[in-house]
Amino acid sequence: MDHYHIGVFFGLTAGLLAGIAFIMFLFKKKVLDMHFDERQERARGKAFQYGFFTLLIAAYAYGVSDMLLGRWCDVLTGVTLCIALAICVFAVTCILKDAYLSLREKPRTIMTFFALLSIVNLGLGVMYHISPGLTENGVLTFRAVNPIMGAAVLVILIVYIVNYLLRPRDEESE
Amino acid sequence: MKNLRMKAARAALDLSQQQLADAVGVSRQTINAIEKGDYNPTIKLCVAICRCLGKTLDELFWED
Repeated sequence: MDHYHIGVFFGLTAGLLAGIAFIMFLFKKKVLDMHFDERQERARGKAFQYGFFTLLIAAYAYGVSDMLLGRWCDVLTGVTLCIALAICVFAVTCILKDAYLSLREKPRTIMTFFALLSIVNLGLGVMYHISPGLTENGVLTFRAVNPIMGAAVLVILIVYIVNYLLRPRDEESE
Repeated sequence: MKNLRMKAARAALDLSQQQLADAVGVSRQTINAIEKGDYNPTIKLCVAICRCLGKTLDELFWED
């Protein structure tokens, strides 16, 4: 492993640890919460099942595409793509069954956080695209991880907002 | 099958779905799903709803 790859490894590890620390901080501040009622737990279980099978199929499809088409993206990017797809399936299923946010989470706070997360990650993607680095010799590099996650969060955000807007305002008419 | 008896009992106490949901510790959508017959609650939740609405399990959840 050369210095560049050691740097990438430590950079990714530091980023991951910072992300975990930030999420733990949000839990401590009660912005994020995991208290769901029994219907939500059941719906989330089903959504998790869909997400899990999506991950299996996506991982298999990525492996097959790599074998048939040759290297078209870094392994880390490919894995992230599969995870992002599985997360989207899980989240969208939960949203459609009103089981995405817990009883104590504030939708506006969470969605604002998601919007910021999406903007930052997509912005990084645009930055990498302008100062070449997103692709090298036609291969999608690990830098594509940011825009992929940004796009995944954006999809979740859009589905949540559309679902919220389409829901009847009068609770009795639901 | 819709649970109209539960809806009527809730309305008789002038409670909204949200108020009942808060009282029994579930989301409003869960109360709505029970009333619409889209979700079968556990016995624990049934008892909590009965206590809150002042009814028995038979009165709210027994199907003739």
